[in-house]
Amino acid sequence: MGKFVIRRLAQAIMVVIAATILLFIGLFVLGDPFASSGDKTIPPATQEILRAKFGMDQSVPMQYLHYLGNLFTGDLGVDFDQRRPVADMLGAALPATARLALIAIILDILIGIIAGIIAAVWRYSFWDVLVTIVTTLAIGVPTFVIGIWLRQTVSGFWFFPQVPRSFTQVAPWYTEVLLPAITLAIIDAAFIARLMRGSMLEVLRMDYIRTARAKGLSERTVIMKHAFRNSVIPVVTYIGIGLGTLLGGAIITETLFQYNGVGFLLYRSILQNNNPVIMAIVTFGVLVYVFLSMLVDILYAYLDPRIRLS
Amino acid sequence: MTTSEPADMATAAQSVIVTSAHEDPDPGLAPDKVGKERSRSQFADMWRRYRRNKLAMVGLVVVTALVVIAIIQPLISPYDPYDQNLINTLAPPGGDHLMGTDSLGRDLYSELLYGLRLALIVGIATMLGSLIVGVALGAIAGYRGRFWDGLIMRITDIFLAFPYLIGALLIVRTFGTGVTQVIIALVVLGWSTGARLMRGQMLALREAEYVEAARSIGASDWRIVVRHILPNAIQPVFIYSFTSIGVAVVAMASLAYLGVGVPPDTPEWGRLINQGIEQVQVAGKDYLWIYPSAAICLTTLAFAFMADGLRDSLDPKLR
Repeated sequence: MGKFVIRRLAQAIMVVIAATILLFIGLFVLGDPFASSGDKTIPPATQEILRAKFGMDQSVPMQYLHYLGNLFTGDLGVDFDQRRPVADMLGAALPATARLALIAIILDILIGIIAGIIAAVWRYSFWDVLVTIVTTLAIGVPTFVIGIWLRQTVSGFWFFPQVPRSFTQVAPWYTEVLLPAITLAIIDAAFIARLMRGSMLEVLRMDYIRTARAKGLSERTVIMKHAFRNSVIPVVTYIGIGLGTLLGGAIITETLFQYNGVGFLLYRSILQNNNPVIMAIVTFGVLVYVFLSMLVDILYAYLDPRIRLS
Repeated sequence: MTTSEPADMATAAQSVIVTSAHEDPDPGLAPDKVGKERSRSQFADMWRRYRRNKLAMVGLVVVTALVVIAIIQPLISPYDPYDQNLINTLAPPGGDHLMGTDSLGRDLYSELLYGLRLALIVGIATMLGSLIVGVALGAIAGYRGRFWDGLIMRITDIFLAFPYLIGALLIVRTFGTGVTQVIIALVVLGWSTGARLMRGQMLALREAEYVEAARSIGASDWRIVVRHILPNAIQPVFIYSFTSIGVAVVAMASLAYLGVGVPPDTPEWGRLINQGIEQVQVAGKDYLWIYPSAAICLTTLAFAFMADGLRDSLDPKLR
């Protein structure tokens, strides 16, 4: 087991390093951030000064090693636009994205798991058919379009704040987070409901369920204690990876609702060619994804000896 | 008595077959077609299962219609989608303009038709590109093993670690806007899952007896892979890549919505939605974003239904 963990860890570190090198080349070598910065064009002399200032007159490998070294001390550099420390910008945007991700995941779990259980327990009933139809539609309709519909129809009504927001508008975070969270939750809830239904149907066919019923347990105990606990494992994996993806910033949804999280910050930085910020956010996203998928692999290896021995 | 029994049984068996033939609505199982069934190809088998799935058939019909419309778009488009008419901007639906005009006076219906063409070109080109790259690299990794397997799989790990849309956004941002750039970006971000699937298939089939047989008669590696393994390995990879058409269509619209990907005046669905939403705040014209978003939904739903049907018809156990 220890050997497997070390091998998997080394693999994860290699992926992160390779990904950051690719990102670095893409951002700083192939694209010249100062050649034309957003709407403005910078005179060549000024470009030279800016390059020297940001250490971009050094050789590319040196620049990259410098970046990597700073990364370990938590120094992400300053942004091109206003010279703010990137770590501070990320620190300001992250709590909002974390709130959004958590609320979306909670909605997913509540709706998805309950719908999945209902559909599996009362298979072929009206509710099962309803769940099948709704999940098929929810998976087929892109998140992007669901977001647009929600934004155009319900934002500004009830207690959902108006989008696009005006400068004077103050909305508490729990009202702001609702619409983007619902948008993100719909598709994942549909996937979870399907996964839960399939896994539950499989478990309900098992011998131990028959045994539980045979010894006279109530149907409620059979479902909630025996079937549920055994069928929820694949759902937990899915939720883990989903949470990682959401933490990396839901760029479309956050931009649609002008939600001040990592995704919206990334969008604005891309439009401004604000490379230090882009580099930091994408690296963060890659780190979270690689870490979580490593965790899932190790968990699986722990549960199934065949994987770690192959 | 004992001698007549076998004959009785034979007639009884015959009558069972005959009655079952009458009762079974599926012509594929009729006794006079039994021989035919045995020689029926895998494809015909898949098609028989696919046909039973009503939703998948709806998907097939809609997809076919969309592809035909996209091909004949220049013939049926009532106006040039790029043609601006600044006198007749934001005209409501009806009259000369079936779906009204946008803020530059362009005919929305013609723009949607052109957008359909773009969406399908990007979707299908992305699918083919990812399929070719993924199958080639996955096949090399799975067949060669050892060094190549390690190298290629580590590369797929790297590409899988990048968030799909954000990665595509960065590539398009670096290499400039345009339909070709969008396709390249989506292929670069999208080939890795196909490669993984292909490698898995390859590993499973590499040790198959018929592959060993081919090797024993001296077939070259190329011949073994292309003629013997690929036809048996490609189906799951193809079906996965079919789902990627819808993903690519949505990704293209999302990029365009964010103002990246295609030039700003392109009649692309995401751009149309973006421009429509801006107009809503000024003029309250909801149809400007409703029609393009409905077009995206229709396309992705039809492709999703079809992909589901294909997956189920390949392997009924997966349902």
